[in-house]
Amino acid sequence: MHKGGQEEYRDNVFVNYSSALTLAILYLPNEAEFSVADEASVSALVQGSSKLRFRDLSESIYPILTNLKNYMLIRIDDKHIEIERHGKVYAYIVQNGELKMLPNGMTSLEDEDRVICCTGEFLKCLNEIAILSDAVVSESAEEWMDNLVCRISDKNRLSEGNLTAVTMIVRSGD
Amino acid sequence: METSFADLPTLQSSVFAALVLFVVTTIAFIWLAVLYVNKKSNGRPDDSELYIDCAYFCEIGKRPSQQDSVFISNLADYRKYGITALVADGMGGMEYGGEISEKIADFVKDMCPMSFFATEQNADELRRFSNKLYDEYKLSGGSTLAMVHITGSFMNYYSVGDSDIILIRNGIPTILNPRQNYMALLIKSLCRNNKQTVTAYSNPKARSLIDFMGNRNPRVIYTKKPIRIFDGDKIIVSSDGLTDAVALRNFHHYLKDSASSTALELKRAVAARKRPKQDNYTGIVFTIKRSFM
Repeated sequence: MHKGGQEEYRDNVFVNYSSALTLAILYLPNEAEFSVADEASVSALVQGSSKLRFRDLSESIYPILTNLKNYMLIRIDDKHIEIERHGKVYAYIVQNGELKMLPNGMTSLEDEDRVICCTGEFLKCLNEIAILSDAVVSESAEEWMDNLVCRISDKNRLSEGNLTAVTMIVRSGD
Repeated sequence: METSFADLPTLQSSVFAALVLFVVTTIAFIWLAVLYVNKKSNGRPDDSELYIDCAYFCEIGKRPSQQDSVFISNLADYRKYGITALVADGMGGMEYGGEISEKIADFVKDMCPMSFFATEQNADELRRFSNKLYDEYKLSGGSTLAMVHITGSFMNYYSVGDSDIILIRNGIPTILNPRQNYMALLIKSLCRNNKQTVTAYSNPKARSLIDFMGNRNPRVIYTKKPIRIFDGDKIIVSSDGLTDAVALRNFHHYLKDSASSTALELKRAVAARKRPKQDNYTGIVFTIKRSFM
């Protein structure tokens, strides 16, 4: 999460890490309105989502985010990733030496799979080959992110919009 | 039966019609074959039978000596072991840069044929060799390393320092390997503090290497999983003498169908810049094509 060249960081990432990882990524360009009360509601829903089915979480969150065009819900357990994508928030997975966009719904995961979820602003200065290459050489999700940020910095010195992304590497036993 | 001169126009038009029919049938056959291949491979041609066209240049620039070294494994062994190609850029201003880069090229030659799937072990071998160089030269020299290993339709790469491995797909060049220089550290630090990174680029030490062959236990960057390559891709392994002289965004001017033409164009482009302090410049160019055989 980086504010870029903006006054403040407006995007939002809500995380709940229990037996499964649940994430809500909100991409809020300048024109988007998102109240503090709505933020608190989404946060509470994601924090209490451990026992909710993904579909139930999605249905509960939808009325709050209905005015937002760009957001994504993600749940990852040992074997699967489930996503629901709205607008300019994207998820990709590295598979068979290629970077593939994840569709809405459930996708099975394997050990050492690499997944990135990011906003359109983050993706603007990158291409699929760069994301793929940084993914396959990185030993950790943090290193992958650092490498991607270097590439964005080369293009715009991190001086434009808010930058939001989550990188993940699936590791059994972690 | 005799053919009179009066029949000639009829005969000519029959031959012409037969020719047209033959050409149309051939085109239809090729078109259907291409459709079939694309459909069978889910819209993407089957790239299991790719072949490689390779060329390189290694020029001295305005430097007093050549400190870049190149190694390309035997193309005749491509089907069996794939192809390995290395550029090692001896660090200028250090006494033994050229000597060390040559030793790295010799070492990689001895490593071949290397296992395509044992990337971690290969990286370890390179790191151990760097330790040997460290013991021998005690930091009085160093070199970068940029190496690709291509087999079938997949590529692995290894990198230490700031030489470049560039993949060009659909005419768009992308540097694959992260650069191990001070600038990367500065950017990371500024980003952690939620700051913009303009200052990182104006830092006079930004391009100093933080890792290189000849250092003790350098971090060898390597692909944990291979990258898929496709028909039409171009791969360039180069020293920074090339990318400093020809900006990546201008590469498309010099890309030709064959590897040798591309290499020649890039070499001429660097020479044409006439930079007074032109570094040694080296590039290995691969073009990936699908075999119809």
